[in-house]
Amino acid sequence: MKHQKKIVFLLVMALLLLPVITACGSAQKSGSEKTAQSTSDPVKQGTTKMKQLNSKLQDALKKNDVAAIKKYGKQINTQWLSYENGVRDRFPLQYAKIERYQQPIYAQSNLADPDVAQMKENSDALTGQLSDLLTAKETKSKPSKQMNQAVDDYLSYADEQIDMLVKTTKPFVKAVKDGDVEKAKELYTLPRIYYERAEPIAESFGDLDPAIDARINDVDDVSKWTGFHEIERALWEKNSLKGQGKYADKLMADVLSLQKEAQSFKLTPKAMVAGAMELLEEAATSKITGEEERYSHTDLVDLQANVDGSKAVYQAAIPALNNGHKDLANAIDKQFQAFDKQMLKYKKSDTNYEDYTKLSKEQIREISNELSKLSKLMAQTAKIF
Amino acid sequence: MDRDDLSTSEQKKGYSRREMLKMTALAGGGIALGASGLGTALELFGNTGAADAAKTATVPFFGSHQAGITTAHQSYGYLAAFDIDPSIHDVAKIMALFISWTRLSATLTQGKREANSSNKELPPNDTNEARDLGAANLTITFGLGHSFFIKGGKDRFGLANQMPKQLTAMPKIAHETLDPAISNGDICVQVCADIQQVAFHALRNLIKEALGTANIRWMESGFLNGPKGKTPRNLFGFKDGTANVTDPESQNEVVWTGSDEPKWMRGGSYLGYRKIKMIIETWDRDSYSDQEQVFGRKKDSGAAFGRKHEHEPVIMSKQPADSHVRLAHGTGKKIFRRAYSYTNGIQAATGNLDAGLLFIAYQNKPQDSFIPMLRVLGKSDALNEYTDHVATGLFAVPAGIKKNDYFAQHLFE
Repeated sequence: MKHQKKIVFLLVMALLLLPVITACGSAQKSGSEKTAQSTSDPVKQGTTKMKQLNSKLQDALKKNDVAAIKKYGKQINTQWLSYENGVRDRFPLQYAKIERYQQPIYAQSNLADPDVAQMKENSDALTGQLSDLLTAKETKSKPSKQMNQAVDDYLSYADEQIDMLVKTTKPFVKAVKDGDVEKAKELYTLPRIYYERAEPIAESFGDLDPAIDARINDVDDVSKWTGFHEIERALWEKNSLKGQGKYADKLMADVLSLQKEAQSFKLTPKAMVAGAMELLEEAATSKITGEEERYSHTDLVDLQANVDGSKAVYQAAIPALNNGHKDLANAIDKQFQAFDKQMLKYKKSDTNYEDYTKLSKEQIREISNELSKLSKLMAQTAKIF
Repeated sequence: MDRDDLSTSEQKKGYSRREMLKMTALAGGGIALGASGLGTALELFGNTGAADAAKTATVPFFGSHQAGITTAHQSYGYLAAFDIDPSIHDVAKIMALFISWTRLSATLTQGKREANSSNKELPPNDTNEARDLGAANLTITFGLGHSFFIKGGKDRFGLANQMPKQLTAMPKIAHETLDPAISNGDICVQVCADIQQVAFHALRNLIKEALGTANIRWMESGFLNGPKGKTPRNLFGFKDGTANVTDPESQNEVVWTGSDEPKWMRGGSYLGYRKIKMIIETWDRDSYSDQEQVFGRKKDSGAAFGRKHEHEPVIMSKQPADSHVRLAHGTGKKIFRRAYSYTNGIQAATGNLDAGLLFIAYQNKPQDSFIPMLRVLGKSDALNEYTDHVATGLFAVPAGIKKNDYFAQHLFE
C-alpha cells in the first residue's frame, strides 16, 4: 500500500480541516479536559446502568444460568443503544472499545446455546472498558492526530486478528496432518473468520493472499493451488486428507509469514478506508454468491467476518467522522446493527451459520440488499478526507 | 432547476422542509449540499456541436402530463420495478427519494448530469457512460403499484385513502405463466431514449440513488424501430400499434385520467404491463397464410382482412372467429400501446430463442379496458398458441410534474 504518500497526505488533510477547527473556536484547546463527571451526565448515568447490568450478567455466567445470561446480554444491548450516540460523539475512542466487547455478548445472548466462556471473557473486558469510560476525558484531539490514532487502532485490531489466525490455524493444520477429517472439518471455520476480517492486510503482501486464500478458479494451474480452499476441497469434496500434509505445512508457513510481515506494516488512512470497502466488496461478490466456500458452504461465516473487518475501520474512523459527519456515522451505525440483526437469523454459533446451499433465493437477495445498503453508506466515509 | 423552490409546502405531516432536505442529502448519498440547501451542481454534457439531432434532442421533463406516454416512441426502452425497502416505515423517506429522483430525472432528461465531488476519495456521483451522448429524447416516467399503498392487507404508509380509483392488484388471467419475481412491484419506472446507452445510464443512476429506500425488483429492456412516421413491427413481423389513438382529443378520452380520480392522480394514466414471450421457432414454421389468419391482418401492409390499407377500419364480418384483431376490436375497448420488443439469449433447456414483447399500454380506465381485453384475449386469442404471458403489472402514473414540484408530491402534501 501507499505508505510513501502518508506524510504528504496528512499535511494536506490537516490543512483542509483547519477551517473546521477554527470554526469550533475555544472548544479546540487540545485535550480540553472534560470527563463525564456530573451525576446528571447521560453518559455517566448510562454507563453506571451498563455496569450494573454487566455485573448481573457476570453472576448469571458464574451460575451458568442460560435464561439469565440471555436476558442480561440483551438488556445490556438495549441499555447501550439507548445512550451510545452520546458516547460516540464525545468519547469515540472508548466507544469503539466498548462495542468490541458488548456486541459479541449481545450476539451470543441471541443464540440457543451461548458460548459461556467467550461471554465471560468479553464481560470481564467490558467491565474494564466501562470503568475507563467513567473517568475518560472527552476526545478533542486534532484531526491529523485523530487519523493517526484511527490507523493505529485499526492496525492493533488487525494484528489481533492475525495473531488469532496463527493460533487457530495451528490445531487445524495438525488435524489435517493427522488425517483426521472430522476434526479438521470442525476446526476449518475458525481461522477463516480471522483471515477474512484482516484480509486487506494480507492482500498487501504480494503472493501471500493467493497462497493462503485462492479459490480454484483464481489459479491457472491447479497443481500449484495451495491454501485453505485446497484443503477445503479435500475435506468436503474428496472426504480424504490423503496427500494434504504438504499443503498443511505450506499453509502454516504462509500464515506465519503473514504475521511476521504484518508486524512492520504501515497503513495510510485512505488505504485503511479503501480496505473496508474491499472487504464489503469481497462479501458482496464472492461470499454472497457461495463461491468462496464452495465445498464447505460456510460462506455466511466469511461474509460476517468481512463485515466485522469493515466495521473495525468504521469504528476507528468515528473520531474523524464526528467532525461534521455525525449523521453519516449514525446511519452507518444503524446499518451495521440492521445487518448483524439479519445475520442472527442464520447464526448458530460464531463458527456455524446456515449452510449457504440451504438459503432460498429470497434470503440471499435480502442479505445482499442489506450488504449493498451498508456498502453505499460506507463509501461515504471518504468524506473525512 | 432551482432546488430551493422544491417542496414548498412545509410542515405537513410533521416533517419540516429542512428535515426533508436533510434526508434527501442522506438518500442522495453524496450530492453536494450548498449553503442554502440542495444547491446541486450540474454539468452540461459536452456535446454542443452540430452532431446528429438524436444527440441533442430533449423532451421536457416537467409538464401537465408525464413525458414518455404520448411522447413519440423512442427506439429503446427500459421498464423497471422497485420495492420500498423493508426498513422504511416513514413516508418522509419516500418523499425524500421522490425529490432526489425528480432532481436527477429533470437533470438527465435535459442532457445534463450531476457533478462529482471535489473529494476524489468519494465514489463519483455520475457513472459517466452517457457523457457526450446528449439526451437522445430521454424520458423517465414514474408509476405506483397497488402494493405501494396496501401490502399484506395493511395500509403501509397511511396513503390508502388516496388510492387511485382503478388501481388493483392484477387479477388472474387465463393463459398466463407468471413469474412473481419479474412481476408487479411498489414503484415502476419507464425509461426511454433513442440511444440505449443513454436510457440505461439514466435507469442505472436512478437505481443507485434509490438503494436503501427503494430497491430494484426487476428490470426489462427492449427496442422498437419503425420507418419514420409509420407503425413499427413486432418480432412476429406484424405492425404493432396500428389502432393507437394519436390525436390529442382521443388521447384525452383514452389515456388521461379525469375528475373521478383523487386530485393528485388527475391528468395521469395507468400503465398496464405484460411480458409476452413469443414461441418464435414455432411461429417461424407456421405458414404465411396462417400467420395472417392468426392476426386478422395482412402481414406486409398491416391492412385488416378485406381492406387494402393499414388504417382502414376493421370489417368484423371478414375476420376469422379467433383472430387477434377480431377479439381485441370486438371488446370495443381502447388502449394506448407503447410496446417494446425484447430478446434475451436462448432458453437453455430447448435452445430456442428467448424473445417477445414488453407489452406496455396506457389508459385511464384499466379496469374497463386493459383488463377486460386481457381476459378476452387470454381465453380465445389464436395468438395464444405462439405466446406465453410471463410477467404482469398495473401501475398508477400520476399527473405530470410541475416545475419546482416533485413526483407524486400532491399524494403526500
